[in-house]
Amino acid sequence: MDHAGARPVWAFLTGPYALFLLVLLLVPFANIAMYSLHPYSPTKVFLPELTFDNYRKIFDLYYARLFGRTLRLGLITTAVCVVLGYPLAYCLARASPRWQAMGLFLLIMPLMVSAVIRIFGWIVILGRKGLVNQALMAIGLEPVKLLYSETAVVIGLVNIFVPFMVLPIMASIERIPPSLEEAAQNLGANWYRMFGRVILPLSLPGLISGCLLVYSLSISAFVTPALMGNPRERMVGQQIYDEVLVSFNWPGAASLSLTLVLVTAALMFGALFATRRAARREKAS
Amino acid sequence: MSARSPRLLLPFVAAVYLGLLAPLVVVIAVSFGPSAAFEFPPRGVTLHWFEAFFASPAFVTAFFRVSLVVGLLAASLATVLGTSAALGLVRFRFFGREAVETFFLAPLLVPEILLGAALYLFYARLAVQASIWTLLCGHLVICTPYVIRSVTAGLAGLDPRLEEAAMSLGATRVQAFFKITLPLLRSSLVSGAIFAFIISFSDINLALFLSGPQSTSLPVHIFSQIQWQGDPTMAAASSMQIVIIGLLILVVQRIFRLRLVV
Repeated sequence: MDHAGARPVWAFLTGPYALFLLVLLLVPFANIAMYSLHPYSPTKVFLPELTFDNYRKIFDLYYARLFGRTLRLGLITTAVCVVLGYPLAYCLARASPRWQAMGLFLLIMPLMVSAVIRIFGWIVILGRKGLVNQALMAIGLEPVKLLYSETAVVIGLVNIFVPFMVLPIMASIERIPPSLEEAAQNLGANWYRMFGRVILPLSLPGLISGCLLVYSLSISAFVTPALMGNPRERMVGQQIYDEVLVSFNWPGAASLSLTLVLVTAALMFGALFATRRAARREKAS
Repeated sequence: MSARSPRLLLPFVAAVYLGLLAPLVVVIAVSFGPSAAFEFPPRGVTLHWFEAFFASPAFVTAFFRVSLVVGLLAASLATVLGTSAALGLVRFRFFGREAVETFFLAPLLVPEILLGAALYLFYARLAVQASIWTLLCGHLVICTPYVIRSVTAGLAGLDPRLEEAAMSLGATRVQAFFKITLPLLRSSLVSGAIFAFIISFSDINLALFLSGPQSTSLPVHIFSQIQWQGDPTMAAASSMQIVIIGLLILVVQRIFRLRLVV
């Protein structure tokens, strides 16, 4: 194909989607940025004067706690995802093509089903008369209240986001030749030593990008805390939802959204660059 | 796998899979159970909740008139937009190409709940009423990157000389594209379209903000049913979504590499 034609064909090809994203991604966020600089009034939709109050309020006790809880739950979720996801990623990366295909199907299928449906399943499992409490009562123990707690939220978030941890780690373990593992073991390292000295350091880019992905997804979660959490211990996503659709405090919602989007976008770009750099380094070597 | 890997590794992984799949198994089991109290394991098998699903105008509208329609429209439009964008990115060299590529995948980096809020406030400022069209526009933003990803992967495995050969044999560039490149790209195109459909069909975060009272999508309806403690009719609806998505992913796995799309 002619790469330097007189007509910029690439512009015709990429133009429509670029325009689409401009109107439905950049302009809406610019709109939010503008809202966040105007004061909130319970009676008027829009006041002309400018203010930084919407950002200042984020440092109030209520919002500081809200952010603290959200960031903490995100950290716990990420840590649990590493513990559960890393072994899974290792097994998938080293499985035969047939088992790998089945493992991937069983990993991606639940990922693609709507989050509401998976939460619904967990509500049935963890509910007052759910599976867990039935089992507890069968062995003669008292039923426990699992639902509507931070534990329930973490269980739900881990269930939804663990595939995002597995996929990047798996990709980076696949790039490590199995012969390295054998060499280390033939030289006398036991499996754990080999793992710590060979696999773990070489799969670090995948691990980092998985952690950043899971962290930024879980700190912006809404459905899981809304359906499984204690209504008095909310996360930032719920606060934004309420300020937009319930209390109509749009400037407040805008400043919260913009703060959260900057944090998560920075993390996501970090993840993107971690994987890209790893890919480039491999090409170079 | 190395024969000397720890003995507990496989049982551990099996347990993780169990946790991953448990909610889906429970939902499907509850949808066939006779109890209205979400009993698991169910004490019998009945199609009662599926009958209730088809008898409920709210569920039928949400499933067939909103989610399915928006999903199919989003998939077809995203395929056109995404394929042309991927062609432009892969087959041409221009200034700022990498920046454009990052921009095109940016929707995957923005949390959906924030995109939903941003679009809601944008529509509100323009005084646009919520409808299936506002929902469709939102879904196109998050679906198209999947098409771009899969078509880019498909193009990478395609020799541009095939097209050049067709052109040297007398085909115009447009003819060469439609007769040579497009048929060879078929499996990556279909995979991208299927994923675009799935993303739209199961989306909840955008739909919470963008669907109006006349355009409640299935996940949003299930969400409100969970909040108002509905009956296992929602389990029947969920089972149908699980089966549809499972089958579609099997198709992608058959014709293309799943890893290149997700």
